[in-house]
Amino acid sequence: MIESTLEWDVRIPEKKIEEKYWLNLKKRVIESGLCSHCSTCSLICPVDGIISEDREIDFPDWEERCVDCSVCVRVCPRWDYNPLSDIGDYIELVAGKSRRFRGQDGAMVTEFMASALEMGLIDRTLFVGRDEEWRTEVYHIRSVEQLFDIKLTGTKYSFANVLPEIKRAMRTSEKGIGIVGTPCMVSGIRKLQKEFSIFRKKIRLVCGLFCTENFYHHQLYAFLKEKGVDFSKLIKTDITRGKFIATMTDSEISFPVKELNSIVPHGCEVCIDFTAVESDFSVGSVGSDPGYSTVVVRTEVAKDVLEYIKQNGHVDFGKVIIEVVEKLSNLKKKRTKNIPEEYRKHMKE
Amino acid sequence: MIKIKVRKPDMVENIKLHLDALLTGVKEAVKPGTITIEYPRERRWLPDSFRGYILFTPENCISCFQCSFVCPANAILMKKSENNRYYPSIDYAKCIFCHFCVDSCPGSALRQTKIHDVVYIDLDEMFCPTENMINPPEIVREDEYTVEYLMDLDIILKRVKERDDLIPEVKPVEIIKEYSSCYEPDSCLACGICVSSCPNEAISITSLDGEKRLKIDADRCTGCGICVKECPVQILKLVKG
Repeated sequence: MIESTLEWDVRIPEKKIEEKYWLNLKKRVIESGLCSHCSTCSLICPVDGIISEDREIDFPDWEERCVDCSVCVRVCPRWDYNPLSDIGDYIELVAGKSRRFRGQDGAMVTEFMASALEMGLIDRTLFVGRDEEWRTEVYHIRSVEQLFDIKLTGTKYSFANVLPEIKRAMRTSEKGIGIVGTPCMVSGIRKLQKEFSIFRKKIRLVCGLFCTENFYHHQLYAFLKEKGVDFSKLIKTDITRGKFIATMTDSEISFPVKELNSIVPHGCEVCIDFTAVESDFSVGSVGSDPGYSTVVVRTEVAKDVLEYIKQNGHVDFGKVIIEVVEKLSNLKKKRTKNIPEEYRKHMKE
Repeated sequence: MIKIKVRKPDMVENIKLHLDALLTGVKEAVKPGTITIEYPRERRWLPDSFRGYILFTPENCISCFQCSFVCPANAILMKKSENNRYYPSIDYAKCIFCHFCVDSCPGSALRQTKIHDVVYIDLDEMFCPTENMINPPEIVREDEYTVEYLMDLDIILKRVKERDDLIPEVKPVEIIKEYSSCYEPDSCLACGICVSSCPNEAISITSLDGEKRLKIDADRCTGCGICVKECPVQILKLVKG
């Protein structure tokens, strides 16, 4: 028998302006350029009104449909922005290369999620695939076999609608869900879990990705098209050593990543979290040899998965140069100057 | 041209054939061997569970929408009535007479009849609004006999000179009292969707200082389960009271 109650209280945050909560969020986070497009609000909105597409987060018919419940404000990681930075606490630091999967570098994200599926820790995980024009689309992974699809692995550098899909995955998942996301998405999930217990129970493994910035698909698409990238032949995009490299079946186009500055979304300019400090484990190419991925294992859950991987010998391990990760992390920390004064005071405390 | 020669029967044979025909005629007159029911003068006996025209009792309806959810033909439309409650109306052009709606009704507000011979002029008329479902449709009854098929190797018709009641008595469903309750208050969004979905105003939301208090009145709750379905985070459940 499940214990249940007939009377309960819910804490509601304070409004900054005397309008509906959505307008509070819109004014304070979206219009002020703090929004990172993590889409946590879109996931939780009880009337499914907040849409997260290839443009700014929006709620077009809020006047009629918003029920003013405050959840969007409650879950927004940038409402009371208190960003974390550096590498944070970790249990183990490894560089690895999967023997089974092909991915961006060492395919360690795929390897970890596949192992978690095999262990029975999770029974669903959300991966981002792509169509012919490299538009992102979310796939619900239920078996390890699905992960051999090359379209699902590899970095896309565009916002993906992963979090809103959690709602659908939760309906059918019994054991738990594994999520892969950028640092802002990880922060969103953690805030969601802090506020709502069902997400604490269902989201079991959160993988953070090393991230400097992410782009709107239409902007990145137009930019790369101008550079001469043929999307029908494109097989891999990568940023290494300050260069954006687009590998096609017959050629390669590269240019300094600084050229992309003009299309970096505002939300990324105020982000100082490079390694996804709040995740269970973070993965990135920085800090290890080419073909290997750096993995920062932060929690016991992720440690268990790593032990499982070690036991099964699915991974070749390499060397990690922590200084390189620190260097990039510090580089991103310089963006602190872009954060509004109001929040910076908050941070020093 | 070929002429067909017809063999003329002789006298004895002729009489024999005529007698045969007469005998068959007499036999049919005394004890008919047909299995056809002479509708509408006669009417077939049907069991009480026959799936015919559906009647509706608004007093028993709790607007739970179960009938419209379960309908495989999508024939049931829930319409708002004057007292702000939603009541079913059936489109007989779509209805497949499966009576899932009758079976699923928790308050036996929908019940079956043996009426199956209602005539409509056009398709629009086949849409039966709630107010027409309360009383049985007008049918002219010309039958005086009720006929029952008895299957005993041969099919025998049993005719009884009495009219069968087309609207059988239905035993009321024993209602198990259930009410909605929250089993995970930590995950409540306080969105108030349950409050606005409740047909009986059994759930209330009040704003306190920096808090919202949600309360389910178990006495008012009819256990219809609408809030359980509507809750965006699925934290409500029906419990037996």
